[in-house]
Amino acid sequence: MSMDAQVETKQTVKSTKGDEVVIELAGVNKWYGEFHVLKDVNLSVHQGEKIVICGPSGSGKSTLIRCINRLEEHQGGDIIVNGVTLDNNLKNIDAIRSDVGMVFQSFNLFPHLTVLENCTLAPIWVKQTPKAEAEELAMEYLERVKIPEQANKYPGQLSGGQQQRVAIARSLCMNPQIMLFDEPTSALDPEMISEVLDVMVELAESGMTMLVVTHEMGFAKRVADRVIFMDYGEIVEQNTPEEFFTNPRSDRTKLFLSQILAH
Amino acid sequence: MTNLDASSSEVVFKPKPSLPPPPNTVGAIGWVRKNLFSSPLNAFLTILSLYVIWVIVSNTFEWAIVNAVWEANSRRECLDKVGLSGACWAGVSHWMKNFIYGRYPDEEVWRVNLGFGTLILWMLPFWLPRVTSKIAIGASAILISPFLLGYLFAGGEKGLFLQVMISIAITSFIFSWAHTLLSMATGKSLWAAIVQASGFSAKPEATHKYPVFAACLVVFAVAFAWQSSWDITSQSTNLWGGLFVTLVISGIGIAVSLPAGIVLALGRRSKMPVIRVFCVSFIELFRSVPLITVLFMAVTMVPLFLPEAINPVKIVQAIIAVCIFSSAYMAETVRGGLQAIPKGQYEAAQALGLSYWKMMTLIVMPQALKLMIPNIVGSFIGLLKDTTLVSIVGLYDLLLMLKAVSQNPQWNGIHTEPLVFGAALYFVLCFVMSKYSQHLERTLGAGQAGR
Repeated sequence: MSMDAQVETKQTVKSTKGDEVVIELAGVNKWYGEFHVLKDVNLSVHQGEKIVICGPSGSGKSTLIRCINRLEEHQGGDIIVNGVTLDNNLKNIDAIRSDVGMVFQSFNLFPHLTVLENCTLAPIWVKQTPKAEAEELAMEYLERVKIPEQANKYPGQLSGGQQQRVAIARSLCMNPQIMLFDEPTSALDPEMISEVLDVMVELAESGMTMLVVTHEMGFAKRVADRVIFMDYGEIVEQNTPEEFFTNPRSDRTKLFLSQILAH
Repeated sequence: MTNLDASSSEVVFKPKPSLPPPPNTVGAIGWVRKNLFSSPLNAFLTILSLYVIWVIVSNTFEWAIVNAVWEANSRRECLDKVGLSGACWAGVSHWMKNFIYGRYPDEEVWRVNLGFGTLILWMLPFWLPRVTSKIAIGASAILISPFLLGYLFAGGEKGLFLQVMISIAITSFIFSWAHTLLSMATGKSLWAAIVQASGFSAKPEATHKYPVFAACLVVFAVAFAWQSSWDITSQSTNLWGGLFVTLVISGIGIAVSLPAGIVLALGRRSKMPVIRVFCVSFIELFRSVPLITVLFMAVTMVPLFLPEAINPVKIVQAIIAVCIFSSAYMAETVRGGLQAIPKGQYEAAQALGLSYWKMMTLIVMPQALKLMIPNIVGSFIGLLKDTTLVSIVGLYDLLLMLKAVSQNPQWNGIHTEPLVFGAALYFVLCFVMSKYSQHLERTLGAGQAGR
């Protein structure tokens, strides 16, 4: 990987989006015990940009986005989100978490609460929104993910695709500026993947800043402004989707693409 | 039969209709065949078991009902009538008051009844439909009622602090019930009703608390004036006994051990080393010592280290020992529940920006406690039965009271009947708790399929 290539592509991307950098990762390092999982990762994400992160399992892509809202602690380098530096200061962590929503591979809905309560919990208890207002907002987002009729059911009564859409609505209820998706469709049955991707495409079109870890290359081609390929804890290559898929630069990327696009 | 409709150009799939299962596999006959007579050996065992059950039941019935003596003035009378072939229930009914209240004076027993009646009435809204703020009512009952009940049971002089606490207890009891009746009848809360009645509803929301405070103060003042006229005699705790003492000790043990256990369990998982080390040492120390030892330490050793002016009350020492011991056990029960909650629940709560305490109280604890209901109620049942150990340090709990009867010259040697009665009483108490826990599990689990 050449640094020049990276800088060059970044600039071409920048021209299409707002200039404001909302996430800045500079020289981020992280270890799990002895295992060096993130190696000197640098990344700037601009307002409204959609980034798809792919790479083989164990390459550190999930860890990378989990560092951004402090579900994992990084041990070296700086992470700056919306001008706030992520450190041990709880106030900074809270400020960043209120700006950043996250959707998990395993949904992680709260099983003891109804769909509506899942969506209103954080607005009521974190932002002190009055209950009626929070419910109105929640219904608005549940309509946006197309399941308002399930509002009074419990998560366990819904299908996987419905649960994941509730999880997206739950995050949106906090009005985040940035959404992180950690393999949102990997735990779904094939016929449910598209209903979740449809919601994500719609969200992307509304101008949300999105970081998506996924192997859905069709989604990447359709909405991504930039595709990042990671391996061994490093960003190997990043480029626009057209360039990335038609003209990959590194041999590692070529091998990965040939493996996942072979069938 | 074909599943394909050939006349249409499109292939239409029609599922076959469901047929009923073969006879003899369902219903009562099917059940008996499958479970009792599935093989010659099983048939033999079934018949043998039925015979054993018949022998036991018929003999017990004869002893306990047919040959039993219901009225007598001494054990001798019973023995003269039926010998040992029938139960002498007269011995139980004659001592019934002592089994329940110990040596509490007869003319003062109403205080114990009033105390427990008040507590039950205070907790009642918790089980009524359409009542809001149930947690606040339940918490007020558990936190504030001990002052009122303690005074009713012990009586005597009351200091200013106790007077204030008793008045607070009366105030919150009245407000709990006013709120309960109001919310059952109209669905409104007492708070809203007071605000509306005082004409504050048009004023900004921040001022709404003033009329509510005023109402509290008025009721408090009336309660204070009322209770200062109370004059009830002092009853030494040495007179307390029987089921009364058993319920006091185990009730306080239950009420303290759950919150204390939750705090200890959270402390054990804390990232702060001082808190963690303290909680781990507390839990491991008291879990590795038998309850009898803790009781002995509390009742005989601790007073040696206290100045002579402080003369601790034995039942209080026993209660503290029981609370400490059961909290340590409860902490491990709760920790088991906490560990069963998937990491994703914590992560989702954190990602939404919930603080540690909000995450624990809103997300983790409700799920963990629900999972833990069988174990928690198991601990409660264990605690209720373990309180029989306080008889070792000389408190006349139910068991010691049951045994003491046989020392009476008139009833010398009557062991079986009081103990059978005690066993039945313990069984009823424990069985009710167990059934209630199953009911709780069902109602709390309703609508949450897939977990």
